Amino acid sequence: MFGNRVEGLALTLPAAVFAAALFLLPVGILLSEAFRTPEGWSLGAYWDFFASPRNRTVFWRSLALAAEVAAASAVIGYAAAYAIVSLPPKSRGRVFGLVILPLMISPVARTYAWLVILGRTGFVNQALVGMGILDTPLRILFSETAVFIGLLQLFLPLMIISLVSAMENMPRDAIPAARVLGANWAQVFLRVILPLTREGLVIGGTLVFTGSLTAYITPAILGGSKVLMLETLLYQRVAVANDFVSASVIAMILIVMSFSANLLLKRMASARRARA
Amino acid sequence: MSEFLSLEDLTLAYGGSVAVDRLNLAIRQGELIALLGPSGCGKTTTMRAIAGLLAPRSGTIRLDGKDITRVAPSRREVGLVFQSYALFPHLSVFENVAFGLRLRKEPDLAARVAEGLATVGLSDFADRAPAALSGGQQQRVALARSLVMNPKVLLLDEPLSNLDARLRLEMRMELQRVQRETGVTMVFVTHDQAEALALADRIVVMRGGAIEQVGTPEQIWTEPASGFVADFVGFETILPDPETGGALAWRPAAVTLGSGPHSGVIRGASFAGAHREYVLDTPLGVVKAETPASAPPLAPGAEVAFDLPRERAVRLASA
Ligand SMILES: Nc1ncnc2c1ncn2[C@@H]1O[C@H](COP(=O)(O)OP(=O)(O)OP(=O)(O)O)[C@@H](O)[C@H]1O
Ligand SMILES: [Mg+2]
Repeated sequence: MFGNRVEGLALTLPAAVFAAALFLLPVGILLSEAFRTPEGWSLGAYWDFFASPRNRTVFWRSLALAAEVAAASAVIGYAAAYAIVSLPPKSRGRVFGLVILPLMISPVARTYAWLVILGRTGFVNQALVGMGILDTPLRILFSETAVFIGLLQLFLPLMIISLVSAMENMPRDAIPAARVLGANWAQVFLRVILPLTREGLVIGGTLVFTGSLTAYITPAILGGSKVLMLETLLYQRVAVANDFVSASVIAMILIVMSFSANLLLKRMASARRARA
Repeated sequence: MSEFLSLEDLTLAYGGSVAVDRLNLAIRQGELIALLGPSGCGKTTTMRAIAGLLAPRSGTIRLDGKDITRVAPSRREVGLVFQSYALFPHLSVFENVAFGLRLRKEPDLAARVAEGLATVGLSDFADRAPAALSGGQQQRVALARSLVMNPKVLLLDEPLSNLDARLRLEMRMELQRVQRETGVTMVFVTHDQAEALALADRIVVMRGGAIEQVGTPEQIWTEPASGFVADFVGFETILPDPETGGALAWRPAAVTLGSGPHSGVIRGASFAGAHREYVLDTPLGVVKAETPASAPPLAPGAEVAFDLPRERAVRLASA
């Protein structure tokens, strides 16, 4: 865009200085905390962190839940996105608005709504007991299931938005063309829709995975201390135990996992392209 | 019965709005049919229904003796070349043509694709991406992609509309050649009457979701059944006939300019190469006429005598 590189660099300089001074530097100091010991630099803090079975449980649980939420939102997201792009333009706008609506509501309010729905005396239990399916209310809250449901509801719109815009960029009639050429719906999806929307899937998947991994409010409210996630564990280490070293380790893990997720998804997408 | 593809009382709708209303049409094996009509008359809609992409509200579609009304598009053995080509941008030309064959697990894949590409003259382009082809080449890939499947019926939605005049002529001959060589039954959509006349065995003229006339190019050209069809094939002057209560229609060339019992004022004049075209305001209505280019030009605003010879008109039941 800039004919002159120097000019371009000069223009980005203020933002770069700002980001470096107020973001990168503090983050660097925080993250380096875990490597600094009285005896010098070491990876000991990471050893200690993963030596604890509870920490390992929290690590794997966070990873698995975020991956599950991302996978579930991809499945639901594709169905929803296809339904939305198949609508006539007028209702498409309206339905798309409904998808975006939850994003404008505070996650705290959205998560508390789940307490009302999933609680002992919430809708779900009342309905199940009322219909005689259950004798006693089910304990849904403060379980991984509750956190999964909460995170899925929280981040699904991001997946749907990414996939809708990817599908809108597909050539018109690509899907009917594949069907006329003999593809069943599974083949249409694998051979046409998936390859043509993989950028959207990578973006949506990264957003949902990273979002689920780093969400604090939802696991805190719906999982509590029973279902600790990395994010809630981090808060606990700092607020309860004043343990900044563990907090720094967790922060580093979260950053590494977020970046790895994005790289992995991109890699998977381009591997598929190379084979095609 | 020799009919191969038949549409019986076919009604097609999008939500509440009916796009095609109780359409009946029978097509013989190996025929080349043109679906001719103005924009929005339901040509694409009819094609989509034959291909199985749109479930009819009512009516029956029969192909080769079987009722295929409820058969999935993937099992109909109908090919469809889309108006927008609908090539797969993530696949090479080769893979686009191979798409359907792969799904069928065709053993002779490479040879069949090569044959298909040769048919449309694109053998050297197998490794290209569709984005690196011209519009006409993309269209030919789309044609090859459908042809290699050996469909019972090949539907082409405005196969020539996005091409320039020269390519159009080339593709026209290409289509005819492919049809001759393969003997495939073809239905192609167009809103260009010249194209329909030049290519088709029979022409189906559609208007507002219904069939206006079905006939050979000669029939459509010389005996249009209605004012609408007459206008479509160039009978540009249509006037009520007081003798029969019907109407009479003339082509511009059938109107005599310079002498005759009527007179009118020239509103517009244009030079069209081989002839000059005139639009006349007359007490009878608007009359369109033409003279050979060698005749002296008439200026707009001039008053001119003309004749509408009855023997050169076609009779229509109504205007
Ligand atoms: N997806 C759709 N939803 C609602 N109405 C539609 C849809 N597609 C077409 N129509 C309507 O159905 C009618 C027939 O449309 P169709 O596309 O079959 O026309 P066409 O003859 O192919 O026109 P053109 O020559 O412009 O391609 C039109 O009135 C059109 O507005
Ligand atoms: Mg059309």
